[in-house]
Amino acid sequence: MAMTDFTIIRRSMSSRMFSTVTTIITVAVAVGLMLVLLGMRKAARESFQRGSGNAHLIISAEPDPMSVVLNTIFYSRLPQQFLMYDRYERIVSGLPTKDPSGKLQNGYAIPVAQGDSYKGFPVLATTREFLTDFDPQLGVPWKFSQGGPFDGNMQVVVGAVAAKQTGLKLGDRIVLTHGVGDSRAGPPGHDHNEHPFEVVGVLAPSGTAHDRALVVSLESTWIVHAQDRLEREKGEGFLATAADLNASDRKITGALLRFVAETRTSTPAVLQQVAFALKREPGLTVAQPAFEIQKLFGIVSNIDQVLLAMAATVMVSSGIAIMLALYNSMEQRRRQIAVLRVLGCSRSRIFSLVLTESALLGALGAVVGVFLAGAAQNLVAAIMKERLGLVIEPALAPELVLGIIVSSVLLASFAGLLPAVMAYRTAVVTNLKPAV
Amino acid sequence: MQPALDIQNLHFAYPGGPTIIDVPSLSMARGEQLLLTAGSGAGKSTLLHLIAGLMDPSRGVVAVDGTIMHELHGARRDLFRGRKIGMIFQTFNLLLGFSAIENIMAALMFSSVPAEEHRAKASALLAKLGIDRQDARPTELSVGQQQRIAVARAVVCEPVLVLADEPTASLDPENSAAAMELIQGLCRETNAALLCVSHDPAMRERFSKRLSLAEVSRAKGGA
Repeated sequence: MAMTDFTIIRRSMSSRMFSTVTTIITVAVAVGLMLVLLGMRKAARESFQRGSGNAHLIISAEPDPMSVVLNTIFYSRLPQQFLMYDRYERIVSGLPTKDPSGKLQNGYAIPVAQGDSYKGFPVLATTREFLTDFDPQLGVPWKFSQGGPFDGNMQVVVGAVAAKQTGLKLGDRIVLTHGVGDSRAGPPGHDHNEHPFEVVGVLAPSGTAHDRALVVSLESTWIVHAQDRLEREKGEGFLATAADLNASDRKITGALLRFVAETRTSTPAVLQQVAFALKREPGLTVAQPAFEIQKLFGIVSNIDQVLLAMAATVMVSSGIAIMLALYNSMEQRRRQIAVLRVLGCSRSRIFSLVLTESALLGALGAVVGVFLAGAAQNLVAAIMKERLGLVIEPALAPELVLGIIVSSVLLASFAGLLPAVMAYRTAVVTNLKPAV
Repeated sequence: MQPALDIQNLHFAYPGGPTIIDVPSLSMARGEQLLLTAGSGAGKSTLLHLIAGLMDPSRGVVAVDGTIMHELHGARRDLFRGRKIGMIFQTFNLLLGFSAIENIMAALMFSSVPAEEHRAKASALLAKLGIDRQDARPTELSVGQQQRIAVARAVVCEPVLVLADEPTASLDPENSAAAMELIQGLCRETNAALLCVSHDPAMRERFSKRLSLAEVSRAKGGA
């Protein structure tokens, strides 16, 4: 194969391997950082919006609305405060969740309780309406990949991600674990061996944090925890049933509320009025998921603008690194340039060789950066899932990747201009002379 | 046939400085070999750079194979030089990051030889010169081998004129003799004119045609 300009560029780069590799790494880190920030920002926003479901309000005894949303919808942490069920019933009894005329779309009041887990996946105790009336994504109801909703106690429906990662399928029997290691009552992490659950349904993926959850009936979880109480009061040898439940067992950590509206996705005019009335209830926190998520975006967008500015600065720094690497190499390369000129290479071709080398450094750095970004996104997604319960689908949009690669090449080309001009102006005669 | 080199009234001086080169006439036919002798700093290298079109004269004409070198500009002059003139330097000036064969192929890049023939042509020439380790870097080869690569690079494009600037200054007497044998032999084979400048007295017996720079140039200054 004949020598080409690319061979000359390759030799130039390989003869300064350390400088070449460090420059590529600098560009790769900058590109990776930029891609992760831009890609994750979009993915996180979509995930948050998707995951808030069609609940108009969430009520809870948690101290602030943001915690209510993060804990109830995204399983961020175990709620720390309870609402007694009879109080909940009193609160929701007057709410406009059913349309007596039958002309409008009915809403719901769905109590939820969290506190147990299975192999690290959260267990949500609730009513059947959670699986029939609540939409995990606005306008997109649950779909089952196997079985269906529970019909009674000690039955469990498994979210898509939890099913995939634990291998649970219809008919499997499982034992839930109390708490997740930091529970409020009883020894943390003990198993509810006396009350195994049977898998009766597996949900199709919804792309929300609920995919990580296992869903059981509220009464089941009350019975399971009544067992703990009975053992403390009477010792072992009892098997708790619904008949053993008393008022203190019947507690929840929150409720999802949706009011009568024209469609399954619309918001009623009475929402603010109802929210205002609920807020007057002592010790009750009322959260509007859509509003809290917007608030979260507001906080995050300030931070990510700073991070974006930092990433852009790193990109510019990587351009400067390219310029310095090539500029410093010019001293060593003057003789090579002079020899190439003697052999017939024109000034303009020398200029384009250096400029192409610079652009190539930018392109190689960008390509490595794309791979770095892919790995970093998976890491960030895993952390977001672990800490916030936010299911982010890490994906680098092709147009974003292309845009960043093109920007990197353009920036590198710009950075190569000064060294290229120096190469263009290299005096042949002076640099052919033997070194003194 | 056009002379390989034809110089008429070539004059060169740095701005405000003394005249360094003043050659009324010098001509070389294809295949001719001329030794130009002079002491250090007499302007030998400057004359070669003017002939190669690496410097522009104050006035006068340098024609290589009938083409007036300084009427060509930019890339056209560079390409013309690459195709018509081979240059050999005292310090070889090999491309250090390149292998032996790539040094030869680098010269062919700018020639009219079809690209698919480059490697075979370079390899054959190196083999002829006894360079077996064609993929070795110049720094991995002996000084004598490096000189042979430099010579091969100068003649591989079959130029009409080879300019050798103190080609043996870096070599011991034994290697010097071998190098000159090679340079002169290859120039004869390719019918290229050879203009060799040197202040080495041992070179005199190798050339039947010898001139001192003082005989050629009326200039009294030095480079």
